Amino acid sequence: MLLRIAERTAVFLVSLGVSSALVFGFMVLLPGDPARVALGINATEVDVARLRAEFGLDRPLGEQYLSWTGGLVRADLGTSYISRAEIGPQIADRLQVSLILVAASMIIAVLLALPFGTLMAVHHRRASGVVLSAISQVGVAVPAFLAGILLISVFAVHLRWLPSGGWTPPAYDPGLFLRQLLLPALSLGLVQGAVLTRYVRSAVLEVLREDFLRTARAKGLTPLRALVRHGLRNAAVPVVTVLGLQLATLLVGAVVIERVFVIPGLGSLLLDNVGNRDLIVVQDVVMVLVVAVLLVNFVVDLLYLAIDPRLRTASR
Amino acid sequence: MTHHLPRLLAPLAALALAVTACTAGSSTAPAPAGSSATTAGGSSDRITLGLVAEPASLDFTKSDGAAIPQALLVNVYEGLVKLDQDGKIVPALATSWKVSDENKTYTFELTDKAKFTNGTAFTAADAVFSINRVKTDWTTSLKAAMDVVAEAKAISPTQLQVTLSAPSNDWLYRMTTHLGAMFSATGVDDLANKPIGTGPYTFTSWNRGDSITLTRNEAYWGTKPHYQSVVLKYFKDPTALNNALITNAINVVTTVQAPEALGQFTGNSKYQVIEGTTNGEVLLSFNNANEIFKDKRVRQAIRHAIDHKALMETCWAGKGTLIGSFVPPTDPWYEDLTGVTPFNKATATSLLTQAGKLGATLRLRVPTLPYAVSCGQVVKAQLEAVGLKVTLDQLEFPATWLEQVFRGGDFDMSIIAHVEPRDLKAVFGNPAYYTKYGTPEIQGLLKAADEGSVDEQTAKLKQVGRLLAEDAAGDVLFLLPNLMVADAGITGLPQNAIAVAFDLSKLGKR
Amino acid sequence: MTGLSRGAEALLPPPGRRTRRGTEATLLVGGVIIAVIVLLALVSLVWTPYDTGEINPSERLALSSDRHWLGTDKFGRDVFSLLMVGSQTTLLVGLVSVGVAALVGVPLGILSAMVPKWWGEVIIRANDLLLAFPALLLAIMLTAVHGQGVVTAMIAIGIATIPSFARVVRSGAIGVMKTEYVLAARAAGRRPLAIALRHVLPNVASLVIVQASVSFAIAVLAEAALSYLGLGAPPGTPSWGRMLQEGQELLFVAPRLEVFPGVAIALAVLGFNLLGDGLRDRFDPRLEDRR
Repeated sequence: MLLRIAERTAVFLVSLGVSSALVFGFMVLLPGDPARVALGINATEVDVARLRAEFGLDRPLGEQYLSWTGGLVRADLGTSYISRAEIGPQIADRLQVSLILVAASMIIAVLLALPFGTLMAVHHRRASGVVLSAISQVGVAVPAFLAGILLISVFAVHLRWLPSGGWTPPAYDPGLFLRQLLLPALSLGLVQGAVLTRYVRSAVLEVLREDFLRTARAKGLTPLRALVRHGLRNAAVPVVTVLGLQLATLLVGAVVIERVFVIPGLGSLLLDNVGNRDLIVVQDVVMVLVVAVLLVNFVVDLLYLAIDPRLRTASR
Repeated sequence: MTHHLPRLLAPLAALALAVTACTAGSSTAPAPAGSSATTAGGSSDRITLGLVAEPASLDFTKSDGAAIPQALLVNVYEGLVKLDQDGKIVPALATSWKVSDENKTYTFELTDKAKFTNGTAFTAADAVFSINRVKTDWTTSLKAAMDVVAEAKAISPTQLQVTLSAPSNDWLYRMTTHLGAMFSATGVDDLANKPIGTGPYTFTSWNRGDSITLTRNEAYWGTKPHYQSVVLKYFKDPTALNNALITNAINVVTTVQAPEALGQFTGNSKYQVIEGTTNGEVLLSFNNANEIFKDKRVRQAIRHAIDHKALMETCWAGKGTLIGSFVPPTDPWYEDLTGVTPFNKATATSLLTQAGKLGATLRLRVPTLPYAVSCGQVVKAQLEAVGLKVTLDQLEFPATWLEQVFRGGDFDMSIIAHVEPRDLKAVFGNPAYYTKYGTPEIQGLLKAADEGSVDEQTAKLKQVGRLLAEDAAGDVLFLLPNLMVADAGITGLPQNAIAVAFDLSKLGKR
Repeated sequence: MTGLSRGAEALLPPPGRRTRRGTEATLLVGGVIIAVIVLLALVSLVWTPYDTGEINPSERLALSSDRHWLGTDKFGRDVFSLLMVGSQTTLLVGLVSVGVAALVGVPLGILSAMVPKWWGEVIIRANDLLLAFPALLLAIMLTAVHGQGVVTAMIAIGIATIPSFARVVRSGAIGVMKTEYVLAARAAGRRPLAIALRHVLPNVASLVIVQASVSFAIAVLAEAALSYLGLGAPPGTPSWGRMLQEGQELLFVAPRLEVFPGVAIALAVLGFNLLGDGLRDRFDPRLEDRR
């Protein structure tokens, strides 16, 4: 068991190293000298050289890479070339926003998927199950940003029930925070919920075929009660895995929703700084996102170890 | 299998803890001001303005872009002089000024009441420091306008003398822009994050990606503004900007980027709609260094091929003004030049045939700005209707467009609004500029206009405007309108957006 | 966005199986939808009701009528014609990105199953590393280098789809490698390439086809999201995602300009998903055949 954990940890650390090199290498490939970009159109060669020296861009690439990753390890993400602002606190603020948004939409997705997915599985031969299944297929097919645009036009612009966008830290005004969070979280959560529903359905269907459930039903329990009493925990395993995968990619994917609802999250920080060519910020944000995804994958890996007894003892 | 559940939950709990810890950690950062935008609606001492194009830095001495001076000039920084609503130069930090007979020496009387927000008093020494600093420390394109200054010196703490190397009508006008902003000699350490000026507002906070908050300067030397707090909120998306007004998240849409959507607001007594003019000439620019544009017939053919009325109708909902050359109606040397090359497809095709360029391919590379993307499609269609081929692509604005088109010259045509006031000389008087235009004749006229009397200036610049139209140096598609929508009760919004700054101190409430 | 975030699920075991009758219905509906879209795209290559490159100010924002079935946009272009031509972009993006992903992902998956276990592990770990770069992130990074455009979008989506192909193929190929005929072929000294082509590839082909259909749906959503962010098709190139983006500012003046491309995208995604589900069930020998 310990060996397995050590192995997973090693893979995680190596992945971090390789991806940091990939991100750094990619940024070096980008056309345009960051110092020249930062200084604007009329900068003289002297100005550019001065700035390059100031940011250490005149050092050998290997040295630049080591000093960047060294900074990352110490949680020092450096200073923006253009705004001269500290990058670390900016990313921390934006990451907080994105995490809240993703978490809220995940909760909505789960609240939708568990009951409906279970219902669809239990009723999978009846009309109600087929109808629900069809609805979930349509839900999967709608782009979330379109759902967002439509939700805004109905609930914000026509009915005036909720704000059309914006963001307020929860500590600042909890009521407003929730009102502003609801529509973007719904746009992400509804579509994600539709995806998840289909996995819940298949997981529950799988469990329904298991022997112990048949036994339980033979003892006179209704399918639903048998399922609730014995089956749901078993169905949870694949569902948790999907959740983990969704969580990681949602963090990046939320950028379009952030754009629709004017939310200052990590994705919009990335897009803005690609536009501004503030390359060190882009490099840091990409790295933070990649670390987040790898971290979630790592946790899912550990979860597998915890869940599946075969993995803990035998080799795969 | 079920007994494994607790083990499953343990890492989940750890993850939850990590997330909370992260949240707790960053919440120690100051709560971003202005994020509670919806409170703006009712409060009389706070106003929220919706803008587009958030600046990348607050330092306009190092970064180009209209968004920084729009927010900071007149409000946080003041100049010696400023522009009033009619475009006249009026006193600001200078209470009066005298110009010597040969138009070369300016003597400014300065106020002795003004104080910088770092506590030091504004004196002539700061003015000298600020003017000299343009030459030594600025890196933006604007700095060239200060080259004409031979010497700036403080005669007394309230008297400043500036000597020009040659007479210049333009210099004092440029001093109304951010070029003339007065900095504290001891307050320029962190211009990108902590601007220090003498203005009616002080810079309070910048929540990047969202908003800038300014607070009334209670120690301001002049008339104090009505609003205690002003939030400048930035929107990437024109529709989100309009929606924010409808849902009371902001009080003013400072520039409507989706004019088709104006219908939502007109005729609704809750809102006021302002339609005025700007300095923003939407220019279909030619790369005049390219072989194909060295032939005047090709340039003229393009002007003849474009149906400007239909273009403005389709791409900007018919809002704006057709002007025909590079001078807006608010400048004294404006004349209507739309008749110089009237819309005529047959003329366009025959000019192209004469030039042997029928069927030639042109690359139209537009920035990712709503008007440019929209008009680019119309221009493409109209040019293809007379026998040209056009490949259209869009470049991320500002960075990529500046890099590839503006600096790199890798384009045949582009579309951008030149919003700087009185920019004839900058755009068409300099062969090194991205338009690659500036015939000796035009340069001579521009120089004579700058150095001559006011009447001579008007006459010469009129001539330049006409020459540009006749020689087809580029094609001004139309003049951007000043389109604003605001809550009905708000007063002091500018009818015409002709200054670099957005004067927040004038805003009030009925 | 969710379009971009859905790639990950492709790695997981397929959602539940249907009855034989359900499978036929799913296949039929999905197949018909896709056939109609492909047909429209083919027809639009030679004919559309109106020229989509033509601007017509006098007909702008027209309502649905006999002349314009679905009305016109703010440039006076016929919306139905735009949708027809836009389907070319949609199908092209799907084809190329799925093609890129399959060309790299399938050999990678087979290779990882055929090399010694330790090497297979390294390959699949490297493959998983790609998962950390979702399509949107790749597209933003590639756009910064090569500029925005359909090609950049296709490559980004394609690269981001590689891991799911490699994973699926590997899982299938590992099973095939244990079969007796492969063991026999290896014992007979067959070359690995021959084994891969003769035995492994045909046996994982059905997995690849199913994966391609599902990935196609994901690519359609990804293209829409990228175009909405301005990272997809350039202006003047009809694309459903681009139409959505342009229609947004007119949502209150002409909501149909948002609805029609939205419906088109949803239908295409639905079609490919149904087709994928149906094919998966069709290929699945375990399909329950009751009733």
